[in-house]
Amino acid sequence: MSQAVAARPMRDLITWPQEGFTRVPLQVFADAEIYAWEQDLIFRGPTWSFLGLEVEIPEAGDYITTFVGDSPIIVVRTAEGGINALVNRCVHKGSIICYEPKGKRERAHNFVCPYHNWIYDFEGTLKTIAFEKGIQGKGGMPEDFDKSKHRLIRLRVETIRGLVFGTFSAATPPLRDYLGPVMVEHIERTLHGQPKILGRYSQFMHNNWKLYVENSRDNYHPSLLHAFFSTFKLNRLSAEGGTRQDDKSWHHITFTKRYTDAGDQAYDSGMIRAMKTDYGLKDPSLIDQWMEYDDQITNSIQSIFPGFVLQQILNSIGTRQIITRGIDKCELVWTLIGFGEDTEEQTRVRVKQSNLVGPAGLVSMEDGAIGNFVQQGIKGDLDNVAVIEMGGRGVGGMPTRATETSVRGFWKVYRELMGV
Amino acid sequence: MNTVTFPATDIDVPAATRDAIARLMMQYAHVIDNDELERWPLFFTAQCLYQIIPRADYEQGRLIGIWYCDNRDMLEDRVSSIREVNVYEPHVYRHVIGPTEITGFNNGTWATQTSYIVIRTMHDGAMQVFSAGRYIDEIEIDGAVALLRKRIVVPDSSRFDTLVVIPL
Repeated sequence: MSQAVAARPMRDLITWPQEGFTRVPLQVFADAEIYAWEQDLIFRGPTWSFLGLEVEIPEAGDYITTFVGDSPIIVVRTAEGGINALVNRCVHKGSIICYEPKGKRERAHNFVCPYHNWIYDFEGTLKTIAFEKGIQGKGGMPEDFDKSKHRLIRLRVETIRGLVFGTFSAATPPLRDYLGPVMVEHIERTLHGQPKILGRYSQFMHNNWKLYVENSRDNYHPSLLHAFFSTFKLNRLSAEGGTRQDDKSWHHITFTKRYTDAGDQAYDSGMIRAMKTDYGLKDPSLIDQWMEYDDQITNSIQSIFPGFVLQQILNSIGTRQIITRGIDKCELVWTLIGFGEDTEEQTRVRVKQSNLVGPAGLVSMEDGAIGNFVQQGIKGDLDNVAVIEMGGRGVGGMPTRATETSVRGFWKVYRELMGV
Repeated sequence: MNTVTFPATDIDVPAATRDAIARLMMQYAHVIDNDELERWPLFFTAQCLYQIIPRADYEQGRLIGIWYCDNRDMLEDRVSSIREVNVYEPHVYRHVIGPTEITGFNNGTWATQTSYIVIRTMHDGAMQVFSAGRYIDEIEIDGAVALLRKRIVVPDSSRFDTLVVIPL
């Protein structure tokens, strides 16, 4: 159970700068050995990874396939109504067992490897081996071969409000303890109904996975990079809002409340590209919205370490799951959701607002490119560092979005888990 | 979902209509590929639907894809955003359009489907098949001009590379 089989120890690979988590060695975005250690120490370490939505597997035998970091995973609804997560790798030769994005096994105990028909049950137990006793007395497995010593790796699984999480590590705290009360409350608040999937797509990005995770925690950039949003005063730094974290700064929420926007000279001066005074929508119905939440929050991005994001952009609710695809590539799987309780009009609003998000999102498409801009820029300077001091040098929640406190939070956790 | 009209269609399509539809398909691709995006909305009726929804979602009857405009003003807003707001590396598309199959005629509207491939070329010369799929259209004929009342772009893949700023 290791990716870092040929990697040197982390402490031999990298020396973190004296300044601590206000500096990030650019090497971490471009190093194969560090990438391998991340698979072991982060994705298979004491962390919870998002696996999917419960609504995707409503009935016994329903399964989906996904990834935790690089590792292929099967998520299946058991006959008893529980959810199991298994590494999608046959113990015989290592082939994936389920090769479709989703499916159903009508019979229980029926994950059949396509290569040599080794069969597992939903717990990951190896049940039968084709030709185990040979054919007409010839061949077969050795008499003393013990099937019970070979099984699929099984993850621990927990759910919250229809979100399914899994962890490889016995050391990971229970999900709600891992998230902490601030994160739990926000997830329960955002997912206030019976989730239903309205759309699913992915965005393939040419950058290291951590550059996207940083981006999702970076509440300093949206009003600067995403001009569409700030032009319509949807996400201006001057709006009331801020950053919340759990006690350990592992996770993060950035939020804004639209109607308390006080305006700001820095925007109205035209000095910042975000402010295009000559720009106006011919059809502003695009940003029609309703106040879905009593807290008046119109925009929140919640990032759960290591690679999960829960979004609320006006009434566009969705999950984003980061999948590692090598040192300089990653994939972001978007699932746009509504609730069973939605009215037709509310569904229509969510559909229209879908223009704001995703790879063609008017306010978010740049996130698909900006990580690659960094990945291009750091070439030749891997001994250099990124400087992360907006909003001070610490971590913790702040009543402003002019801060990188949550980016520092990410690197704080990263260093703890990676031992550097 | 438009089904295939195999083995033969009993839809009687006037030659002038066929010509108008063929011209629409050709010119739609050319205004995008030749960077005349300001003319792109002109291929639609004022009340229209333009949507990009991946094949898997389309076939499951899901509502949300990556792009949804339900009138021509929204198309024009997209063009404004492309020109003035969005940040992306310079790139161009090359559409290759297959022959159009006319699959029906209802309430003065022709139903069609047409395969497409879009090659994306980046400013540094990198090229890739950016999208392949089909257009599922509803087309009105106004004099000699065919206009899109509805264009559902159904890419075969749910995965999009980097970003989709220019319409397909």
